[in-house]
Amino acid sequence: MGTQVDEYLEAEVQQLLTDGRIAELGITVQRRENVLVLGGEVESVQRRDEICRQITTHFPEVEIACDIGITRAQAPSEVEEIS
Amino acid sequence: MIRIAAVGDVHVDRDVLGRFRPALEELPDRADALLVAGDLTRHGTVEEARCFATEFGGLAVPVVAVLGNHDHQSDQQARVSDVLTDSGITVLEGDATVLEIRGHRLGVAGVKGFGGGFAGACASNFGEREMKDFVGTTEVIAERLTAALLSVQVDALVALTHYAPVPETLIGEPLEIYPFLGCYQLGRAIDAAPTALALHGHAHHGSERGRTPGGVPVRNVAHPVIKQAYNVYQLLSSEVDLETLPA
Repeated sequence: MGTQVDEYLEAEVQQLLTDGRIAELGITVQRRENVLVLGGEVESVQRRDEICRQITTHFPEVEIACDIGITRAQAPSEVEEIS
Repeated sequence: MIRIAAVGDVHVDRDVLGRFRPALEELPDRADALLVAGDLTRHGTVEEARCFATEFGGLAVPVVAVLGNHDHQSDQQARVSDVLTDSGITVLEGDATVLEIRGHRLGVAGVKGFGGGFAGACASNFGEREMKDFVGTTEVIAERLTAALLSVQVDALVALTHYAPVPETLIGEPLEIYPFLGCYQLGRAIDAAPTALALHGHAHHGSERGRTPGGVPVRNVAHPVIKQAYNVYQLLSSEVDLETLPA
């Protein structure tokens, strides 16, 4: 059974995400029973994996579910006319 | 007609090299210029700035950028700007640039901007020195944006910021953090000039479209919001281009 996930732990995880190494301010952290659900998008697979690795390293008892996506970078197909 | 490509919050580091480039190489067929609305890098280091210059430099269209809060993280923002400038990218902070495009003059005025919040829920220039410094910084930056916007005589004027000038493009973000995402003073600056379009980033969970109280279209071009390499906006649609006139 994982560690109790309370709002102090949630705040510590958010703080970890904004620390110098990860520097991701756009990741959402939701508490769902004893699981932390991570959301949002980052620019590379390496960054997503690093986020999960750092959280697991700092909070080994916490169960996480990672829904972080990689932002697509294809060229647009439409133009918006500004008026 | 002028077509502007725009994106923000690309947070380039070595791991991003090559991701944007294929779409950027298509720019000459899609737009006349590329504007980048801050958070070019991840931690604001010189090495990351070089990565951004590699990915976004050397394009066949002019590139104009402002810095974002991430680009200040390592306190090397001046050196970051120098790296970008050396690679041919125009970096704005309280100034403007004019691009000549098919006989039209496109003006871009830019600042990073800062927080403070919006009408009814904003910080005041009052109390502790730290609070006065915070709001005072916002006010100074907004004044610089006003001056920059009014400094050019152009056919189409664009305001480029990192922080948001209106709350509408923040919808999707927690209300509690709006004061850290933008401020009404930027909107007032944009409305003080004949601005055709305002572009910003910073709010990854925000919304794409809004308008200032004065009616200027605002677009949040943060990469996680637009979910593609860049958006393209068309200005001066009814204007006749000089190069299309018969000789």
